[in-house]
Amino acid sequence: MSTTPDKLVERYLKHLEIELDDMPRDRRRELVDEIAGHIAEARAGLEHETEADVRNILEGLGDPAVIAEDARERFEVATPAVGRPFKAGWMEIAALVLLLGGALIIPVFGWLIGVVLLWVSNAWNVRDKLIGTLFWPGGLGLAVFLILFPSGSSGGATATVCEVNPSTGQQFNCSDSGSDSGFAVGAVGALLLFAIFAVPIITTAYLAYRLRNQPAAATA
Amino acid sequence: MVAAGKQDALLAQMRKGTLQYCVLALLVDDERYGFELVRSLAETDGMVTSEGTIYPLLSRLRRDGLVETTWRESSSGPPRRYYRLTKSGRAALQAFKAEWGPFRDTVDHFVERKT
Repeated sequence: MSTTPDKLVERYLKHLEIELDDMPRDRRRELVDEIAGHIAEARAGLEHETEADVRNILEGLGDPAVIAEDARERFEVATPAVGRPFKAGWMEIAALVLLLGGALIIPVFGWLIGVVLLWVSNAWNVRDKLIGTLFWPGGLGLAVFLILFPSGSSGGATATVCEVNPSTGQQFNCSDSGSDSGFAVGAVGALLLFAIFAVPIITTAYLAYRLRNQPAAATA
Repeated sequence: MVAAGKQDALLAQMRKGTLQYCVLALLVDDERYGFELVRSLAETDGMVTSEGTIYPLLSRLRRDGLVETTWRESSSGPPRRYYRLTKSGRAALQAFKAEWGPFRDTVDHFVERKT
């Protein structure tokens, strides 16, 4: 029972920290420290602390979102993009298309333009942008590149070739693996093939989903 | 006619705008720590709805050089950050008082007039 008030306080401060996410680091630290101090001070003044007391203290302080809103106003920090209703524009659509297939239209550069648009747009948060950039660099272009030029790379790419061949009935014609290991290599190849094709598609779908669910993202 | 919601927002803005001078005024004679300031302000009805919003204000006042802070040990817990008026904080409060008095009187003159 005695841990419940501590948990409440911990949750409150965590929530506050998240709400202040877009404040400069030193200010965020100062505010969280001061409010933690306020809570400690108020709790120290209680003779027999109950959960209700702690809830009253936290309620008196106010909703972390309200405090953060006030802090943004005081420090003239712009309201975060996730807090506002966001309408997807041409830039977001172009970013998604180019990230996925841009490298197929203009090798390398098509995808790079997509990355720039992704980072310029304020429709996504930093985590989304990192996901969009890292899975995979080049988008579907990477997959096509690996299939067209397998000899340049070793291991994984070779296995990919094995996997492509079954369609022509030449499963055991893998360039440098024996027929015994053909199945294993084929399985690994299938996984890799799946990963390089599916991951960029899943990533794009995820980013599109985030685009359509911005208000929900604000509470995350 | 001003809609009720708009009026609330306006009052909130007025409170927010004058709150910093109330804080400066509380520090005229004595240095105080955050929790103490919050308690004093909360005693007066309607001045602060969310006590936590005092802290962004204090932080801002400090950065603007209107107050300065010192940490002091406390007998009943962790050290406290004490806030004290600076020279420019005192000057800002004086300037506000010079404007506020006549302003309040003028508004009263119209608002309180019997119709």
